[in-house]
Amino acid sequence: MNVAQKNWLTVALLGVVLVLPALAADTAVQVQLDIKKAGPRTIENLTERGILRDYRRAWLSLSQALEANTLDPLEGPFAGDAKQWIKDTVLSQQRSGLNQKYLEQNHRLEAVFYAPEGDVMELHDTAEYRLQISDGGKLIQDEHVTVHYIVLMTPGADRWVIRQLQAVPQF
Amino acid sequence: MKRVFAIFALVVTTAAGNCWAQDFRVPNSATAGEDLSIATSGNGKGTFYLVGPGASIKTEVALGEAIHLKSGDLRIAGGYLAILCSETCKSTNFYVNAAAPATIAFLVHPSRVPVGRNDAVSGVALPFDRFHNLVLAPKNVNFQLVSKNAAPFSHAARTQDGIAWFRTASGKAAGAVEAHASLDDVTAKRAVQQVASEPCNLRINGQRTNGGIIVQTDPVRDCAGNVVPDGTIITFTASEANGKDTVDAPIKQGVARVKMEAKGATVVSAASGVVMGNDLRIEAQR
Repeated sequence: MNVAQKNWLTVALLGVVLVLPALAADTAVQVQLDIKKAGPRTIENLTERGILRDYRRAWLSLSQALEANTLDPLEGPFAGDAKQWIKDTVLSQQRSGLNQKYLEQNHRLEAVFYAPEGDVMELHDTAEYRLQISDGGKLIQDEHVTVHYIVLMTPGADRWVIRQLQAVPQF
Repeated sequence: MKRVFAIFALVVTTAAGNCWAQDFRVPNSATAGEDLSIATSGNGKGTFYLVGPGASIKTEVALGEAIHLKSGDLRIAGGYLAILCSETCKSTNFYVNAAAPATIAFLVHPSRVPVGRNDAVSGVALPFDRFHNLVLAPKNVNFQLVSKNAAPFSHAARTQDGIAWFRTASGKAAGAVEAHASLDDVTAKRAVQQVASEPCNLRINGQRTNGGIIVQTDPVRDCAGNVVPDGTIITFTASEANGKDTVDAPIKQGVARVKMEAKGATVVSAASGVVMGNDLRIEAQR
């Protein structure tokens, strides 16, 4: 094996090492969407698929940001106040030395309002996941939780973005 | 015997120590932007963690004393997790609710609408508190559409999960309309411009000139009598023995005017969209 072949092999292995965890994390976010109660505007198939895709991506990004304490994953899936509070959480975690892991995520999403002109959608998310909180690498909390979220999403140029993500005791 | 008693006493003391280890009580709910006090019990030092939207706090506390969370720690509505660690960790969840409404996000569509259209104007109101939390508690929102030339439209709606909305027909008269959404002493305003609908009863007149004809419309109005906006295109078609000629002309100051080449007997018609005007017969110069 010459030097060039060795370099290619190294790059390929590195690629596998980097991509596999991302794929694993990606499949760990399950989202189901129920649009039966949405109104007054009817949700088209294309919109339904877009919401499913973008909500799943958003939670993937949120998990990555709060686990690695980095802001990069937040560019795109969040906007407005939701983006700001997640940023604040990451910055606060950087100071306190805490981090959060959202594992085995399962989101049962229900669209409850879709504005007449299609410029805002409200959804209820019954999210189940395993939440791990660590302080400087030491696990201080590890529990399976069910959380109810009120979600506001608006259409962007090429995707739906989350503008509000507010946990509530019940719907 | 003494040794057995000593071991028994040690076990009891340890068990009692665990029973009376750190504990804390958090109110079931709190309001955004307000101070919160968490009562603790136990002895010695502990570490308190608060994890929630926008907050990740770690602080050393003296067990048995209250933990005071400042208003800035609980600005964002949502679920919070409080953890108190000494030898072991205990945790509890609580929720922070939005404060009183301070602003209304008011989405009104469209910004420009033809008069007399059913379900043409809609508005969605979302109340937010001063920290930009969506106010989820049900609130009454009053919607109003106010214009100079017509009685105001009024509709009251109660927010459901932070949203109230309305939909209505556009008015009969062209002009500016103000859309209001009011909740207690908070009001949001948006502007909607009602414009004339499709032209109605399009009528034309004309006269002969050297080498052709000049044709113009009467003032173009919709069926409610509103002047159709300048820039609306009127299509004039002149038919004569030798063929047909079509010219588009925009309305200027309520009237569209065009000069066309024609020879001999000519029939001119005008149209705008699907609306046809009268036929005009003119004997042009040969």
